[in-house]
Amino acid sequence: MDRSTAAPIRSLDEFAKRPPMKWSKHILGYLFLLPAVVIFFTFLWLPIGKGIVYSFYDIDFVKGDSFVGWANYTKIFKDAEVTVSAKNTLYYMMLGILIGFWVPILFAIAISEIRRFQGFVRVAAYLPFVVPLVVLYGLWKWLYDPVGPINAALEKLGFSQVLFLTDKAWSMISIVFMETWQSFGSAMLIYLAAIMSVPRDWYEAAEIDGAGVWKRIRHITLPAIKNQIILLFLLQLIATSQGFQTQFAMLDGGPNNSTLTYALLIQRYAFTRQDYGAASALGVLMFLVLGLLAVLQYRMSNKKEE
Amino acid sequence: MRKISTIIACLIVFSLVLAACGGKNNNGASSSPSASASTPAESASAPASESSDPASPDITQVKATISIYYPTPDLVEKRALEDDKIKRFNAVFPNVEIVKSDWQYNPNEIGIKMGANEAPTLFNTYATEGKFLAEKGWAADITDLYNAYDKKDQLNPILLDQFNIGGKIYGIPQQGYVVGTVVNKKMLADKGVAIPALDWTWDDVLNTAKAVADPKKGIAGIAPMGKGNEAGWNWTNFLFEAGGEIQKVEGGKVIATFNSDAGVKALDFYNKLKEASVIPADWALGWGDAVGAFAQGRTAMVIAGPDGPLDQGLNQGGYKPEDLVVYPMPAAAAGGKHTGVLGGDFLVINPNATKEEQEIAFRYAVFDYFSDKGLASVEENIKARKAENKFFVPPVIQYFKQDSEYGAKVKAVYDKYDNVYQYSNELMGLLDGKPEAQFNTQDYYAAMTNVIQEVFSKKGVDLKAQLDAAAKLVQEKFYDQIKVQ
Repeated sequence: MDRSTAAPIRSLDEFAKRPPMKWSKHILGYLFLLPAVVIFFTFLWLPIGKGIVYSFYDIDFVKGDSFVGWANYTKIFKDAEVTVSAKNTLYYMMLGILIGFWVPILFAIAISEIRRFQGFVRVAAYLPFVVPLVVLYGLWKWLYDPVGPINAALEKLGFSQVLFLTDKAWSMISIVFMETWQSFGSAMLIYLAAIMSVPRDWYEAAEIDGAGVWKRIRHITLPAIKNQIILLFLLQLIATSQGFQTQFAMLDGGPNNSTLTYALLIQRYAFTRQDYGAASALGVLMFLVLGLLAVLQYRMSNKKEE
Repeated sequence: MRKISTIIACLIVFSLVLAACGGKNNNGASSSPSASASTPAESASAPASESSDPASPDITQVKATISIYYPTPDLVEKRALEDDKIKRFNAVFPNVEIVKSDWQYNPNEIGIKMGANEAPTLFNTYATEGKFLAEKGWAADITDLYNAYDKKDQLNPILLDQFNIGGKIYGIPQQGYVVGTVVNKKMLADKGVAIPALDWTWDDVLNTAKAVADPKKGIAGIAPMGKGNEAGWNWTNFLFEAGGEIQKVEGGKVIATFNSDAGVKALDFYNKLKEASVIPADWALGWGDAVGAFAQGRTAMVIAGPDGPLDQGLNQGGYKPEDLVVYPMPAAAAGGKHTGVLGGDFLVINPNATKEEQEIAFRYAVFDYFSDKGLASVEENIKARKAENKFFVPPVIQYFKQDSEYGAKVKAVYDKYDNVYQYSNELMGLLDGKPEAQFNTQDYYAAMTNVIQEVFSKKGVDLKAQLDAAAKLVQEKFYDQIKVQ
């Protein structure tokens, strides 16, 4: 929207100066709001609040909870696995950026440049995202098998066998490759929609001025999808920092804790060790870090917009 | 007006907090799913033994609702058996409503189930969980019910002892096993490999595995589990065979002992298997992966409770009974014991249930025990499987003593059908079951799983150092918190 024609944004002071609203006039509006508030309160805000409270308790669902102060926090800070899992999570987040983050951008730009069969390619790129997880894990276990197709191809090319899942150096990388293949399609659609909304005449003007494909991408496409890149970067960081599903299902955190992520450790504390208090303490720390990250990122993106 | 809206908003928030927090009931007196249909715990707190007293009300006429462990939808035959049992039970206990729960015990879910008061009145569990459930207060003390049971002396003590915690009974045995090695004899024969004797050793395992493995085709000689706590569980058999122990209790303290010389010896055997390339190159296999690989002919040997691999091999892998042989765990050296971990399935009663519900649940659990009706049900199951060209794999250890009168009756039924897998007498004579550790078994398994993964994924690992580190971790993190009374 053209900023000059947009309605002026009112400041908070203006709202504060307004005369008090009539409750009865807006009761219908409040009633419409109520279900959403109840659902959010019950399933989001209350569990978050309870999680924080639980982190100060020894939780026993049958005999009753007992207040333990900071003991859960002391316990997790002493646990070497917490450090290992935090490092693994950072490594996983970094791999996600290095291996996976640019793939949907690349595909979106490539698809936008295709003149024929664009619809087919778009669907084909999105298809892995709808593959059920059980099928996905089975498929990639087969692909990564020591005598599977990837290793067979590597051996034909004269390389030695790679133990993708059981070699500590490869296990996390293999997981990120698999997840990138599976999930790049959904991010690609967002980028593609952003690219498609760029006026075509900008590209035509650039072409007339002698800009090649690379220059068009660099000076038109990438700046046009900058906001989406920032948003998806933030979302990917948040998603990968909570990653545990694949690590749990395929390797259960192994080999020797090399794919033990922070979220997987929380799951172990809660459901394997039945130590819900320490698990909540781990969750609270994660909540604080992610909250800080989100605030910083939004501030950065707001500043850029201004 | 603003005040009114603030008050209403506060009331909504307060009521929501109350609603969300009020569901929990820790005293367990009236929170059973069936509490509305039964007498409160306090008014029916007479011990079960007294219920047989002429003065006490007739238990068969009690009105109650119990929820029971019910097989999952894929187990059609077992469901049919359970439905039949419910029907017969209701003929004797006409006022009892039985609610079927297909929740299968899961250590990762039991805490939530108990917290939410959603665990069935009667639920299934495994041998490892006895002490854990008893200490958490998640299994009812059924000592009185057990003492009042007229056939208690015929229950198999090997299994019953697993849930005898400090002289109190917390579970009803269903069936059990001693971990063994199931060997695909057909794979050995196809490669011209000599079939080892049942009284075999670690060297026999290694040599057989070497002879049958074909790494280039992705065929392993043996598939020790390498993922999840199963990895530690599998390895523990070798620790026992080498004469080692997981832990010992000394001066009221639990001390980790699995880093002994026996532990190093057992871990060195795993190292030899790895170096000889007889285990799957992709060794990160959990129970399902390893047993599945066995059923698909991708490994010639697997270590597990024998009935699982047998059932999958015969009924899904298409093998014939003569193709698959159950071996005891190998002895560390000739003349040694074939010790394997003793495990099994048990039924546990929810302590949140009222005393009456607990008694009815107990009576339901043992309703078919030692009865001809129960045996007839088993026979029907065998026949149904025969009609579908499927095999019936009986448990290695039954809830009753094998040499009892009832044991002989069951054996006679098994002998009538050629689709019943028969364990050899020689095997039964060699099996040496050893119960798992009493304290923090799963934590020990988890620690050992990391050690095993280190050995399988690296060359030249310092075995003693790895075991010492794991023992230190388990000691400091778990065992040091325990005070043995």
